[in-house]
Amino acid sequence: MVQKMLKVKDGDVSGAINDFLRQLLSSQKLQALIVPQAMPSQKTTFPVLVSDPHMLHAAPLAPLLAASTAALVSRMTKVQAAPHPIGVVMRSCEIRALLELVKLNQAKLENIVIIGIDCLGTFPLNTYVEFPEKQKPTEYLLEQWKKNPDALDKYLRSACRVCKDPIPTNADIVLGLYGTDIEKQIIVEAYSDVGKQLVEHVKLEEGKDSKERQKALQQVREDKTKKRQQFLKEKAGIKGIEKLAEFFDRCVNCHNCRQACPVCYCKECLFDSSVFDAEAYKFLRRAEMKGMLKMPTDALLFHVGRMNHMILSCVQCGLCEQACPNTIPLMDVFIPVAEQAQKEFSYTPGKDKDEKIPLIVYKEDEFLEVGEK
Amino acid sequence: MSEDKKEQKKEPFEPKIVGFLCNWCSYAGADLAGTSRIQYPPNIRIIRVMCSGSVDSMYILRALLEGADGVFVGGCHPGDCHYIDGNYKARRRMVLLQNILETLRLEKERVWLRWISASEGQKFADTMNEMTAAIKKLGPNPMAKHWDL
Repeated sequence: MVQKMLKVKDGDVSGAINDFLRQLLSSQKLQALIVPQAMPSQKTTFPVLVSDPHMLHAAPLAPLLAASTAALVSRMTKVQAAPHPIGVVMRSCEIRALLELVKLNQAKLENIVIIGIDCLGTFPLNTYVEFPEKQKPTEYLLEQWKKNPDALDKYLRSACRVCKDPIPTNADIVLGLYGTDIEKQIIVEAYSDVGKQLVEHVKLEEGKDSKERQKALQQVREDKTKKRQQFLKEKAGIKGIEKLAEFFDRCVNCHNCRQACPVCYCKECLFDSSVFDAEAYKFLRRAEMKGMLKMPTDALLFHVGRMNHMILSCVQCGLCEQACPNTIPLMDVFIPVAEQAQKEFSYTPGKDKDEKIPLIVYKEDEFLEVGEK
Repeated sequence: MSEDKKEQKKEPFEPKIVGFLCNWCSYAGADLAGTSRIQYPPNIRIIRVMCSGSVDSMYILRALLEGADGVFVGGCHPGDCHYIDGNYKARRRMVLLQNILETLRLEKERVWLRWISASEGQKFADTMNEMTAAIKKLGPNPMAKHWDL
């Protein structure tokens, strides 16, 4: 790993990162960048695919994850790998999702240069758009993060509040915000050969001591783990049919959560298929069995089915929760089940792209208590 | 008429079991039990599938949410799968499913995975006896009354 420093002028953190990205793009080593940028309305930021360095005005620190870049990279590289290098600025959860998609043969990493950025957390889209504080969301985030990070918790999405790990791993280049005074300098770490070659094209200063960063990383990870354990304890009670039926009682079967999930990839979802287009007599039979049938049917089946299909690859980005029009706090149920199921298979999604998805591999002498006794 | 129905419901609890049997082993085992005239409880409704590894847990969850009292999945013995390793994969899926069942607070004993070969007609009948008795002990599936799912 090569560590360098990116100078920040006049406390303009975003400007320095933009400078860095612009130099990368101008170096001709990257054909284009995918990076979050504010829309002309200034109300939201979305990932943009930018090839003209002059049009690059990235908002890499804006606390908003409107769409996961993992799904975008998948869409672009599913059939054919990118022909020229594309840099993708990603948060840790987006990288984890991308690696899961690679394992599922839904994305190719060739020519994808992952530029990870330490994540300070994101707000729900609606909170971001209608931010109640006087400051803009990004300004507020940076100020509070420095002063009192816990104060951010009231706005953070729950997935971010209890994030598994806000520090990018498996990136070619990491822009480090923890363990440095970001108003003066940002840490640039190059991990892969591609990353090391790329940072050569940017004006950077030599890095000195990484001890401070290591300490800060340990601190933030411990902090998140503590909040996570508290969260798991609080949500342990949402189990059993009565509680789950109540939990999902606002569900209108729109399936937005599935749509927003970066890892969920089937071309035709079982739940959109003709399996659920039954003739009237079948609905009548079902109604007769229980005496009555809630319509539209199968809301809970959809959620437990989605859980069953996705839970081992769930990178806990929380985009399903953000997509819910009726604000069902999906992470309250998904995080505890994901933790438990992933532990059962000793599997951490998004950790290692060469690791196989648990359901396609097996050992002959495992789980012997299941099946034959 | 409705009074009659109520009367009928007071009869001893007879569990409804949905069975997914693989074409190559368990289904043939069940067939052998039949042709050998071995008696076993009629509680199971058998659905033939090509492989235990083809049973998506969704099928099982759907049966349970609709009110089935038990679900039986039968496959070839480990090492004997017609598709080499479908039964091993079925076993992994079952482990995952048990996590979901735990969330629903549904007894994992309602879902059985067993290996029954084409020659084990007696074993199929014995397993059906055993499973029917076990589910009777557990009682009806609480989902059967939930119309609000």
